Amino acid sequence: MIEIEHLTKRYGTNVVVDDVSFTVEEGTLTVIVGTSGAGKSTLLRMINRLVEPSAGRVFIDGEDTRAIPEDELRHRIGYVIQGYGLFPHRDVAANIATVPRLLGWERRKIAQRVDELLDLFQLDPAEFAHKFPHELSGGQQQRVGVARALAARPSLLLMDEPFGALDAVIRSKAQDDLLAIQRRLGTTIVLVTHDMNEAFHLGDRIAVMDQARLLQHATPAEMLMHPADDFVERLVGTAERPFRLLSLAKVQDAIEPGEAMGEPVAISDSLHDALSRLMWTGRDALPVADARGVILGKVSVGGILQHGRPLP
Amino acid sequence: MVPPRPALSLDHLGCVIAILIGVALFAAPFATYRATRIASGDSRLLIEALPIAMGAVVALVALTIAVGAALMRDPLGRLGSAVIGLAVLLPSLGLSAGYLTPADNTFARVSPSVGFWLLALSFSLLAIDALARMRLGPYGRIAALLVGLIALALLLFSGIWDDLSILKEYRTRSDTFWREARQHLFLAFGSMAAACAVGIPLGIAGHRLKTLRTALLQGLGIVQTIPSIALFGLLMAPLGAIAASVPLAAALGIKGIGAAPAFIALFLYALFPIVANTIAGLSQVPAAAVDAARGMGMSARQKLVQVEMPLAFPVILAGIRIVLVQNLGLATVAALIGGGGFGTFVFQGIGQTAIDLVLLGAIPTVILSFAASIVLDALVELAKGALA
Repeated sequence: MIEIEHLTKRYGTNVVVDDVSFTVEEGTLTVIVGTSGAGKSTLLRMINRLVEPSAGRVFIDGEDTRAIPEDELRHRIGYVIQGYGLFPHRDVAANIATVPRLLGWERRKIAQRVDELLDLFQLDPAEFAHKFPHELSGGQQQRVGVARALAARPSLLLMDEPFGALDAVIRSKAQDDLLAIQRRLGTTIVLVTHDMNEAFHLGDRIAVMDQARLLQHATPAEMLMHPADDFVERLVGTAERPFRLLSLAKVQDAIEPGEAMGEPVAISDSLHDALSRLMWTGRDALPVADARGVILGKVSVGGILQHGRPLP
Repeated sequence: MVPPRPALSLDHLGCVIAILIGVALFAAPFATYRATRIASGDSRLLIEALPIAMGAVVALVALTIAVGAALMRDPLGRLGSAVIGLAVLLPSLGLSAGYLTPADNTFARVSPSVGFWLLALSFSLLAIDALARMRLGPYGRIAALLVGLIALALLLFSGIWDDLSILKEYRTRSDTFWREARQHLFLAFGSMAAACAVGIPLGIAGHRLKTLRTALLQGLGIVQTIPSIALFGLLMAPLGAIAASVPLAAALGIKGIGAAPAFIALFLYALFPIVANTIAGLSQVPAAAVDAARGMGMSARQKLVQVEMPLAFPVILAGIRIVLVQNLGLATVAALIGGGGFGTFVFQGIGQTAIDLVLLGAIPTVILSFAASIVLDALVELAKGALA
């Protein structure tokens, strides 16, 4: 758990981060989102003390980060940046081994960990361990960057625009991979982005920043239904709101008893996907099936649309 | 579609080389004969300088190469013909010396003249151009250099050049030659090492502190503009004063003239390229890599040693290359203030109007600089390749 308390950063009279407080629960993914220059990167960099706060404190699992020596603190926190910052003179294996080597792990343990991570990120160790960063595609570099950050099994991962340099197709795959890995490892993640879609796709909670201040810290659904102010409302996108809500809700939430014709939708699909299927097939309702293909009921256009607005 | 180039067509550089060869053969003397080492010389054309059969062979080979250079495209063929040309030309100079020197005359001197130099230049140009067209990798270039140096050593040790005046000059001074060679290398490499030891840390500091960077680059830039002789002069007074007041300094050989001011001057000239390239090398390290290094908990020292220096290394090495080639040449001037080195022969030779003695100092300097620049260029390329 990370507790951020009254965190402030001033450069001279210029306030970059202004009295920001929020809590990140263990094992969740919090997205800090905002326009450029809003102070989100500075906020992130104060968590691992790459930027020293002017005021306020950060607690990680109850421990004040100021009490931990800087380097030791950073060994415990994974860090991924836009452009990844892979070391061009070191091969993939050596890049991933960076923090374990700083921590003085023994050679065999490091090699084992590197192979484990390459497997986790679907990079064949035999093919990739000894490639250099310039020999990798953008998507591969991104995966190596995340693998490197996770090498010493940090419980907290900080990511600053980690998908910013990827094209749209690879980006959405990389986002899904990150979610899968986060669920598997239970890592707490704080991620900075300026992309609202990314925030809604990834965030368990979203923190919206503008002009150095935290405007709202809430779950995606809360933010859609009760935006704190006009800025948040505009950022969320008024026209997009119903569709974002449908993306967040699952077929499970709108299942009705009864039968319907056609190819069944999965119970774990989002309502957004289900509605899109309904519109495309021109039907009013479709059957709902669980993972094994057992029909559980149906989902209808009318039922779905009720989830596209705040419930009374 | 690009039409295929005909097998035979005029090559621009080759035409120039062919004209040079023509001038060398028909309009320039091949060797110079002097009755004594400082007497004025008598020019000898190729046909006079060699036994008639030998002269004919040299002329025939040179003419064939001239035609080949102008018309042949294949770089391997061009390189081969240049090598054959040098293999015929270089020994023939030794034969000419033996042929022109009257028996039992130890005073007479035979030295190469314009024609020989032009032929040697033409063949070398042809060889270098062919090597460049072959786009040799760093190892290939070092190998080519080694082959050239070994061939030169073989020529020297075979005794075929022993009658040449420059080698006669060498024989009367073989002790001092090697002593001055050591001194020359000590001045060039020693001041380079000292400049690295001081300049790299200064460059690192300058990279971190902007004010220091500006001061360093401007200060050292001004030193670069001082002519070497003037810098020697400027150093004489303070060093002389130190020698007079600090007995230990005098005991270490530090005085107003001699090796100390030469060493210090070379060191000062060497600082600028080392400092400037260290700063440039460090500032082109990707910012993301530096940020990642800090973010993963590297200490300032670990970041410098593990990330910044390895990435800046090729640029720093390029600075070392500049310094070494510059120092090998500049060390010649050290002889003017009693600093020793190959310059000793150059200035003695000028004083005695003995051109062969000048060459005895100048040729090794040129060969050293040439070899150093090829080796270090190759190393820079290898270092860059390792990073790519």
